[in-house]
Amino acid sequence: MSQTEEDKLLNEVTGKSYEFGFTTDIESDTIAPGLNEDVIREISAKKNEPEWMLEWRLAAFKIWSEMEEPEWAHLEYPKPDLQAISYYSAPKKKTELKSLDEVDPELRKTMEKLGISLEEQKRLSGVAVDFVMDSVSVATSFKDKLAELGVIFCSLSEAIQEHPELVKKYIGTVVPQRDNYYAALNSAVFTDGSFCYIPKGVRCPMELSTYFRINEAGTGQFERTLLIADEGSYVSYLEGCTAPQRDENQLHAAVVEIVSLDDAEVKYSTVQNWYPGDEKGKGGVYNFVTKRGICYKRSKISWTQVETGSAVTWKYPSCILKGDDSIGEFFSVAVTNNMQQADTGTKMIHLGKRSRSTIISKGISAGNSQNSYRGLVKIHPGATNARNFSVCDSLLMSSTCGAHTFPYIEASNPTAKIEHEATTSKIGEDQIFYCQQRGIDEEEAIGLIVKGYAKEVLNKLPMEFAVEAQKLLTISLEGSVG
Amino acid sequence: MTGSKESFISNFKAPENSRGLRSQGDQYLVDLPVPGRRSERWKYSPISKLLNTSLNTCSGEGVVWPEEILPDPVPFLDSYRLVFRNGHYVSSLSDMPIDDDVICMPLSEVGAEFTNDYHKREWVGAMNAAYHQDGLFLKVSKNVSLDRPVVIHHLTDGADIAALPRHYIELEEGAGAEVVVWSSASEKSSGMCNGILEANVSSNAYLRVDKICNEAGEIFKFSHEYIKQERDSRVKINTFTIKGHWVRNELEIVANGPGTDSTFNGAYLPTGTEHVDNHTVMDHAYPNGTSSELYRGIMYDKSTGVFNGKVFVRKDAQQTNAFQQNSNIVADKGATINAKPELEIYADDVKCSHGCTVGQFDKEALFYLKSRGIGSDEAKALLVKAYVGDVISSVDREEVRNEILRLYSERHGWA
Repeated sequence: MSQTEEDKLLNEVTGKSYEFGFTTDIESDTIAPGLNEDVIREISAKKNEPEWMLEWRLAAFKIWSEMEEPEWAHLEYPKPDLQAISYYSAPKKKTELKSLDEVDPELRKTMEKLGISLEEQKRLSGVAVDFVMDSVSVATSFKDKLAELGVIFCSLSEAIQEHPELVKKYIGTVVPQRDNYYAALNSAVFTDGSFCYIPKGVRCPMELSTYFRINEAGTGQFERTLLIADEGSYVSYLEGCTAPQRDENQLHAAVVEIVSLDDAEVKYSTVQNWYPGDEKGKGGVYNFVTKRGICYKRSKISWTQVETGSAVTWKYPSCILKGDDSIGEFFSVAVTNNMQQADTGTKMIHLGKRSRSTIISKGISAGNSQNSYRGLVKIHPGATNARNFSVCDSLLMSSTCGAHTFPYIEASNPTAKIEHEATTSKIGEDQIFYCQQRGIDEEEAIGLIVKGYAKEVLNKLPMEFAVEAQKLLTISLEGSVG
Repeated sequence: MTGSKESFISNFKAPENSRGLRSQGDQYLVDLPVPGRRSERWKYSPISKLLNTSLNTCSGEGVVWPEEILPDPVPFLDSYRLVFRNGHYVSSLSDMPIDDDVICMPLSEVGAEFTNDYHKREWVGAMNAAYHQDGLFLKVSKNVSLDRPVVIHHLTDGADIAALPRHYIELEEGAGAEVVVWSSASEKSSGMCNGILEANVSSNAYLRVDKICNEAGEIFKFSHEYIKQERDSRVKINTFTIKGHWVRNELEIVANGPGTDSTFNGAYLPTGTEHVDNHTVMDHAYPNGTSSELYRGIMYDKSTGVFNGKVFVRKDAQQTNAFQQNSNIVADKGATINAKPELEIYADDVKCSHGCTVGQFDKEALFYLKSRGIGSDEAKALLVKAYVGDVISSVDREEVRNEILRLYSERHGWA
């Protein structure tokens, strides 16, 4: 491609402002910025939480205050000032809603702009949407239908009130309070999130979905998701996000815990498209997330993610393969453009005999971005006949971006079989030429090649999600290719 | 008090030469932290056990060479030879080239100081800078190829020894040299051998280094090679760990000009409770460079292996072609491998790939051999020989190749 054309294309994209950047005007109930024990007490009191929950939060706070912010990631960013953040913000108009018509019209508009109108989703795909605006759940659909099967799908604060025995039993068992700096912070101050329980032997008939949005200016979002799949059950869970345009960096430190009991299967899909900052790297979301699942006997957890947003991403959805014959999967497409930085990957901890894991990671970097894969495959001495297969490919789209791979492989069992391969390359000029010869213009050709490159991962997404993910891929990369 | 970094070096004595470098080393010994589990580069190779010992540097006087070790480690190789014992040069056992175009002498006799910044980065490097005893100084003039390989034989001999050899090689434009760096230790020896080799390879020059560690006793061995390559130069480094209680091989190749070619291979087959760590860094900073890396290991018994291979492709290093392959076999219950192949790429028009595997002996290959009347052990030996053979075959000199093969065979009972 000629230099001028390249520049033109680049300008087109970099000139494009964030399409999903808008703010919904709803009154919020916000706590003054700052973090100390009193703030945690206040959050807990506002949410009317039982005593054990407050103690759990305070214990986490104590651990957190003794920790230091980690610096090992291949990322450079100004550290967020955690004392300048307000730790609680909830939409004020809080009434029980039975149908969509009761939803605040402002919110409805937001959803429509996002192209995820609830009616459409309901009608087309039978998705139950638990819509999270800032930190409190405002609309939950399909609840009755799920209730018939005994599936509990609600906000975490509701679960703390109504199913304390389940929350108490499982919270912090996969991601303990002292797991890492941001997980500890989340444990102390999380405001809400989703809770999901699938009873024994139930195959959840629809995909469960939550849309997260960061809305209130200056609020850190501390979601906590707890997903429990009881013996022999199956659930597919979708999580997708967009955030309004903001100037200062917003911190998102979420925790997702999945417990997959014997013979259960959990499929967790994420499309992440938070505001990545402008082309100079100003603004954008800090996405520091701890996601982890534990697999018991013969169970399976599958993580699929399409990451296109956020200024800084730091995320390692992991599986602890505790039970014999358990399976962990990780499929990821991470796209970085402009000044975005991503350090993402997975950890597969093999404890059970014959446990298997697959890692497919596709990184695409453009502009001045840095995209790193960091993963761990650990085979413990007891994990006889464990098997891992990893592929990490990187596609480079400009001469100023970077693609990095940091795979850790730790094997302590003579029967372990681990394969890891990584390649880095740019889009083949011959491939583009081939398309152009056949009348496909360059931009379209690049789109085709990228989609083909990411196909292995996109194929793993549920249908409705895959459509959105493809759209995102195109939007994030359009014309950024040289 | 033992275990602190001050107490560990309290008995060390530095020779009088190279004051400048030594004082820098002293400074960084104070400033830099001791490698520990919390440091990314050392997390799999902690040295706390070593720090709890009390070691002494010794003088080069009154050398008694142990009978069981031959001064010439590769008997049939027609070579020059520099022999060191506990860091000190043993002139009576050495045989140096005499030629107008080649300067070869003990480093202690050369006034100049050469150094990369390793001593500013690592505590272990600072220790060598401050307390290094002696080593090889080799300088080959423009367009001259050294007619025979130079064998550097370092022996660690005695209890609680701190040996700190330091070698320097300078190849001028179009020059060539082959070097064999052989380290051995006597049965009853213990302590540390902390060696550094630096090489400057000018444009169009070539350097081949075969590094063999065959140490008995209980030595903590650190060895760091730093190779700087100029335009169109070629480098080939082979690292073999035949035997060693605790071995850390660090290899850093910096391509400082376009069109360089670097090949580096290694093999490690630790047994018992041995620990072998291979850290490699390949740094492509200029265009059109190629590098190829192959490391293979088998971990037996309760041994641990570590592999860390880093490939950097800097912003301007377009058209780089870098390949890295690391294969491992965990042969017994209790053995561990920690592998981490890394790519850091900042240029787009490059071809880079790495592969890393952990596996077992191919059952079908074993069955094939057994069905032809070859016993299980013998069949395994055949497979291992072929597996490691790919690395050994990259040694150019037949004599060196045969000796490596002989020592591996002896140790692992290959027929």
